[in-house]
Amino acid sequence: MADPVLEGRGLTKRFGGLVAVNGVDIAVERGEILGLIGPNGAGKSTLFRLIAGVMKPSAGSVAFNGRAITGRSAHDICVAGVAVTHQIVRPFREMSVLDNVMVGAFFGHRPRPRGRARARAAAMEALTVCELADRAGAPARSLTLAGHKRLEIARALATRPEVLLLDEVLAGLNPTETDRTLELVRAIRERGTTIVMVEHNLRAVRGVCSRIAVLVEGRKVVEGDPDAVLTDQRVVDAYLGTAHA
Amino acid sequence: MSYGLALIYGVLKIINLANAGFLMLGAYLTWWLFTAYHVHPLLAPLIIVPLFFLGGWALERTLVRRVLGAEPIISLLLLFGVWLVLQNLAYVIWTGDTRSIETAFVDATVALGGLTLSVPRIYVFVMGALVLVALQLFLTRTFLGRAIRATAQDRDAARLVGVDVDRVMGIAFGIGIALAGFGGSLLSLLFSFTPDFGRALSLKSFCIVVLGGLDSIVGVAFGSLALALAEAFGVRYMPASLQNLISFVVLVVVLIALPKGIVGTLRALRRG
Amino acid sequence: MASRTAAAAIVLAALVAAPFLAARSEYAIEVLFLIFLYGAMATAWNLLGGFAGQVSFGHAAFLGIGAYATTILISNGVSLWIAVPVSALLPGLFSLLIGVPAFRLRGPYFSIATIGIGEATRLIALNWTSLTGGASGLTLAGAPPMLQQYFAALALLVAAVGVAAWIRVSRFGYALAAVRQDPDAAETLGVATTVVKSQALFLSACILGVAGSIYALHYLFISPDSVFGFSTAVSFVIMPIIGGLGTVTGPLIGAVVYTFIREQLAATLANADLLAFGVLLIAIVVFEPRGILGIADRIRALRKRPAVTVADG
Repeated sequence: MADPVLEGRGLTKRFGGLVAVNGVDIAVERGEILGLIGPNGAGKSTLFRLIAGVMKPSAGSVAFNGRAITGRSAHDICVAGVAVTHQIVRPFREMSVLDNVMVGAFFGHRPRPRGRARARAAAMEALTVCELADRAGAPARSLTLAGHKRLEIARALATRPEVLLLDEVLAGLNPTETDRTLELVRAIRERGTTIVMVEHNLRAVRGVCSRIAVLVEGRKVVEGDPDAVLTDQRVVDAYLGTAHA
Repeated sequence: MSYGLALIYGVLKIINLANAGFLMLGAYLTWWLFTAYHVHPLLAPLIIVPLFFLGGWALERTLVRRVLGAEPIISLLLLFGVWLVLQNLAYVIWTGDTRSIETAFVDATVALGGLTLSVPRIYVFVMGALVLVALQLFLTRTFLGRAIRATAQDRDAARLVGVDVDRVMGIAFGIGIALAGFGGSLLSLLFSFTPDFGRALSLKSFCIVVLGGLDSIVGVAFGSLALALAEAFGVRYMPASLQNLISFVVLVVVLIALPKGIVGTLRALRRG
Repeated sequence: MASRTAAAAIVLAALVAAPFLAARSEYAIEVLFLIFLYGAMATAWNLLGGFAGQVSFGHAAFLGIGAYATTILISNGVSLWIAVPVSALLPGLFSLLIGVPAFRLRGPYFSIATIGIGEATRLIALNWTSLTGGASGLTLAGAPPMLQQYFAALALLVAAVGVAAWIRVSRFGYALAAVRQDPDAAETLGVATTVVKSQALFLSACILGVAGSIYALHYLFISPDSVFGFSTAVSFVIMPIIGGLGTVTGPLIGAVVYTFIREQLAATLANADLLAFGVLLIAIVVFEPRGILGIADRIRALRKRPAVTVADG
């Protein structure tokens, strides 16, 4: 692909004897929604952490808009324009929903809003997109799980990312909440943000992603059109387990 | 010689770490030994260890348990408060005068291959090593020991596999405090002390833990050795009053250079 | 909000008028002076300890550096106008130096390391006799008039509280709160946590440096144990906790309580005051970690129907 917005080459991460991510090449096209799936323990979240700078790769490189960001700190990478949400939500518990998002607004990609009023406006905008505006003044810890997930997204969205990495934002949601969140993901993409989603919900992923990549035991196994990938024998085997020969 | 002392400091730290971050304990107990020491030096541990075990257990049940859910800094502050109370209680009861144990044992020396060794130091070293080994065996070979380690790593998971977490925490705490008491008891044989005694020691044990990495007894032993070497080295070049600075300087240097501690870094290098 | 500012203005006016109204009572002026000084110190500590959540037991180092800087400079004929800024800057620079290794540690480990830092500076002061006079300390010839001291301390307090209040609602305040509650999440949102912590540390060090200046000019005698001592460092921790960690007025309330207890107890039995503080600390941590302001909140909540409120203070 010409000019991917985000590109990882040969990304590897070892923890002692365990290789969590093994030589993964990944290229994200501008404006797409890329799905990243794989059985548990396949290394998907770890890959996100490598890209977002939360962990340093044992080997490999990451480039954003053609410029290398490998090994830079998480806050640098967020400021550059790549934001990540957490699989297990991490709200700032003692702050309100609005304040949580304001942190993102104040500190994300430049240009940053100057002054509290502008940051507040930017935060409210993100909250509105995520349908949390009515809960703005509530303490963050009073939200339901679905609310928390949307708060994670709103907060990351407030940092004005070019690429948003969503880590299992559908986990634990019922079908209605799932659909709502998928709508949200589409809306975010409409606003011009590229999205990569790690997910277990295969049906959801098929519905919203333009491409899907599959990770199994740290390696990328197949990638491409959602229908083709999901019916690929290797993927089926990975999820269901191969029958003994 | 100081290796034995360092071992003890390290031992105190390990159990405290096994309780997920309760760190102030070692210090306050060592000086508590004032009182028992005015009685009978070498036998005092027989009283002290069980007494302190009970004390630690009780402390855990009443106070510590209440702050388990909060941020770790809260439990630190709690234990700090306990330490303040104990230290100043000591000041009030025994005043700030320096105390020491004077018996024949303390001054005894033995000649060994041209060197004159102080008997108490040998004793402390041996006891320190024994305790360390016993502790390692306890933590790895016995069910209770493993239960403690499991709880330290993940309380909920431990509950799920059937560990009575409440009981384990009480016991672990009790052991930690008992060890601290025992350590202080041993140290009183070697040094004179004031209620301030604990502070420099807790800094050293902390230093050992950082040097040796936070997870293993082997690391602690390694850290103790490293610190002892650094101190022995420093003795030649620095005035006595700056001795305590050595551990601190080493700490700062290590932290700047090797955030994971020496053992941690070595491990990471080995893994590649 | 407006009523609060009005209340603060009234209190301030009263404090400014006080020395003229109560001119006879030197004791009252002295006590107020101490409250101002302790209040400023507690507020400074709270910037790092309460706002940023990094509890330091070594902040006495900054007080000491400021105190010694002032004493040494003034004894050598340097003007006050130079000595005080130097006393503010020197601890600040030291704090930047110390922050680099110290902030590699998290939570309780950081706190323990700060004990070492405090202790180390005390030992250095004790042994660098050519500079500091060692254990016998240093003395100053004459003190500025009490009225001047009173207003200097009040000015410092107002400045410290002003800084704290401003930070609370500023972008910087959001960063500090984020760092306190979840540094890793903060990092992923673009907050450079180590830089933020260092900034808070720098501010608190500078304020304490000036406090050290005022201290030296008041007591006219400083020694390693008095300014670099552990009990001094402990007081910085206790005051905000008593009043309300991480709030703007909490450290002040704590300073008042601290001064009161200290005056009452220190006379009777040495160390009884620290003992009392230890007990108080345990009680607060176990029952109401948010201190006196937290208790006030609870009382207020009991009075009216519980509603969803965002914590404030």
